[in-house]
Amino acid sequence: MSATRRRATWGAMLVVLAVALAVGGREPSGPRSVEEQVHAVASRVRCPTCRGLSAAVSDAPAAEAIRDEVGRRLGEGQSEEEIVDYLVASYGTDIVLAPDPVGAGLLVWVLPVVVGTSVVAGIGIVLARRRGRRVRPTEEDRDLVARARAGGESG
Amino acid sequence: MNAALGTAGVTLGLAASVLGAVTLGEGLRRRDPRFLRAGRRYVWLLLAGAVLATVAMQSALVGHDFSLRYVADNNSRQTPLLFTIAGMWSALEGSILLWALVLAGYLAVMVRHFRARAADPLVAWATLVSLVVAAFFFALMAGPADPFRLVEGRPPLDGTGPNPLLQNHPLVAFHPPMLYLGYVGFTVPFAFALASLVTGRMGEGWLVETRRWALFAWGFLTAGIVLGGWWSYEVLGWGGYWAWDPVENASLLPWLTATAYLHSVVVQERRGMLRVWNLSLLVATFSLTILGTFLTRSGVLDSVHAFSESAVGPALLGFFAVVLAASIGLIAWRGDLLRSPGAIDAPVSREGAFLANNVAFGAFAFVVLLGTVFPLVVEAVNGDRLSVGGPYFQRMTLPIGLTLLFLMAVAPALPWRRAGGEVLHRRLLWPAWAGVAAVVVAVVTGVRGPGPLLGFGLGTFAAGTALRSLGLAVAAARRDGTGLWRALAGRSSGGMVVHLGVILVAVAFAAGSGDGERRQLRLQPGQSAFVQGHRFTYLGVAAQQLPNRRATVARVRVDGGKVYEPALSQFPFATQAIGTPSVRAGLFEDVYLTLVAVPSGGSGEVVIGVTVAPLVTWIWLGGGVVVVGTALAAWPRGRARRGRAGTGTGADDDESAGAPPAQSEPPFPALVGGEHPPGGKAGP
Repeated sequence: MSATRRRATWGAMLVVLAVALAVGGREPSGPRSVEEQVHAVASRVRCPTCRGLSAAVSDAPAAEAIRDEVGRRLGEGQSEEEIVDYLVASYGTDIVLAPDPVGAGLLVWVLPVVVGTSVVAGIGIVLARRRGRRVRPTEEDRDLVARARAGGESG
Repeated sequence: MNAALGTAGVTLGLAASVLGAVTLGEGLRRRDPRFLRAGRRYVWLLLAGAVLATVAMQSALVGHDFSLRYVADNNSRQTPLLFTIAGMWSALEGSILLWALVLAGYLAVMVRHFRARAADPLVAWATLVSLVVAAFFFALMAGPADPFRLVEGRPPLDGTGPNPLLQNHPLVAFHPPMLYLGYVGFTVPFAFALASLVTGRMGEGWLVETRRWALFAWGFLTAGIVLGGWWSYEVLGWGGYWAWDPVENASLLPWLTATAYLHSVVVQERRGMLRVWNLSLLVATFSLTILGTFLTRSGVLDSVHAFSESAVGPALLGFFAVVLAASIGLIAWRGDLLRSPGAIDAPVSREGAFLANNVAFGAFAFVVLLGTVFPLVVEAVNGDRLSVGGPYFQRMTLPIGLTLLFLMAVAPALPWRRAGGEVLHRRLLWPAWAGVAAVVVAVVTGVRGPGPLLGFGLGTFAAGTALRSLGLAVAAARRDGTGLWRALAGRSSGGMVVHLGVILVAVAFAAGSGDGERRQLRLQPGQSAFVQGHRFTYLGVAAQQLPNRRATVARVRVDGGKVYEPALSQFPFATQAIGTPSVRAGLFEDVYLTLVAVPSGGSGEVVIGVTVAPLVTWIWLGGGVVVVGTALAAWPRGRARRGRAGTGTGADDDESAGAPPAQSEPPFPALVGGEHPPGGKAGP
């Protein structure tokens, strides 16, 4: 198959994929039920008496109390942020499961990005340099290979 | 009696590991093979000590010998036999004993496996390193974590029993041993990595020999993690199986680095590259098992300041620091020998993809490690308390997970060294179309959001690539008349089967199996309610008296069919009632019922927790497929194939399963430089 036809095939595939993602890629928006909103807020905070579980999933009384409180405040028309702020004020900063990106909390978000980017960049630079100074194998090298291969087959 | 026997076993194990290490060290110093052969025999004494201590512990547990503090704290006369036996790993001291037993077992297999080469300094050093590790764990038991400590004063007539959560489901008997077989198994490859650094023998020989050990350990660790998720799902009652809890993260961390190792080691075998990196991954994997034990066993998670209350925490942290410092020092010292002779020719090649895979797994491990220890570090530094939990890990690991799925889809089809457009087109076209089709079908059936759509699409793409590879292997075997078994056994096909298992798990994650639709239903007897189109009819409660607990069972009919019985149990010595979920498992959807509150104060109303979650079963199926694939991959090559010469059938494909490494292309870069002749220089 010619390179042009190959490109056309993959191009067509990308178009289909792009259309499908454009239709279905957006998170469902629009008015959410109260239950969904309670779940959204409660998912962001810890169940105070459990380890690691969010207040949205735990059956513990403390988690239920938080869900009730969130539902009540949503009913009063408070925004999700206001409710989270209230929960932080009453339970402490460690009630939130993903720290706000401020102060020390910023590090936990930024470090992986910074480290990841530098590692990828570093590998790119090293590989580019190595490719630049690749040497041709000498006759002696080929000999070594032949011998090693002969020896290696038995083991 | 039990205490005396157990202490004797611990002492024997400690003495044997120390004496063995000293003997081997002396033999290495004098270059005297007699010492080296004598040194390895101490491993049998070590094993005897560990078995003796285990027998003493089990005899104390089964015989309810409450004169032992550990038994009094973790057993009672009412504890059923299974949980009595499992009581050995229900708390710190017994867990260390299990660790020591597994380590002694691995060491025994190791010295037996390498018995013909006992005088080889590389093997001797590896044995010495493992004995030092064993000495550490036996010293823990001889000192701060003594499983055989006696109660003060008169022994109690009955014990408190294990933690109620640990006597509620039979999986507790299997999950920790599996996990430990995984954790501890990495000691052997780690020991060989250090031995190769010390002896300066960086050739690929030791690596090939220990790769299968790493693979076994990895298989057990995978099984242990999946069983842990299953236990969590069946016992904890919140409808999920993975909470990004530090204890869970501690088991995931070595799994991530070990998975990276199992991939990058292929590059070293084929091309001789990534040596420092592979050694670092083995060191990281082993260190992370120690760090994980420190995190989960020292109490540091409850408070940074709690961990020094017992000497176990500082001991584990110190050992972790020593392991890390020694390994990094050795790698730095041998840096010149580790310089890799090859180079990556093109980024779009098999080795390029393996490199990308390692970067992604490295990033994954970094995120999990950072998120797990970050609250501890912040609290230690400035006293602030903050939590890093599910929402953080989900957001950070989603892009990494999708990248890994993409690599899984593309990499197995990439040729080594360099890929041409024609080859990629031929190998990837149908798998890629399958992935796109999956996205389209998902959109049409109402799936929304980039995460699930990309997860389904890339998962299908990757499954297509894996199935294509397996299909090629089967076709080649049929052509050669070698049979199905030979097509599937071996590293390439086994690896593809493992991929299929991981894809099942990944698709289940993408479908949101860990975060289903959740409701609490308040129902009177005879009343029904609907969740997600399912009808739940509450029939009534019943009381049950079991040997180790009193249970209240709610009878709930689901969709007019079978009756499910979620329960709340009251254990003696436990303040809180423990829930036991009841699950209707299905291939596409689980219905998960819990009893949240029993009727009280005259009203007959109960509170039933209902979670409807998609594809949870795929997690357990995927785990099973991974284990099968690991077993296939670990199957010795010689037994699966006719021999090395006859299988070079993959003329167009070096991917064809049977091809032994480096047959379809000159293995030139792998062999120039760095390779020392076997039996080369002895120790420093």
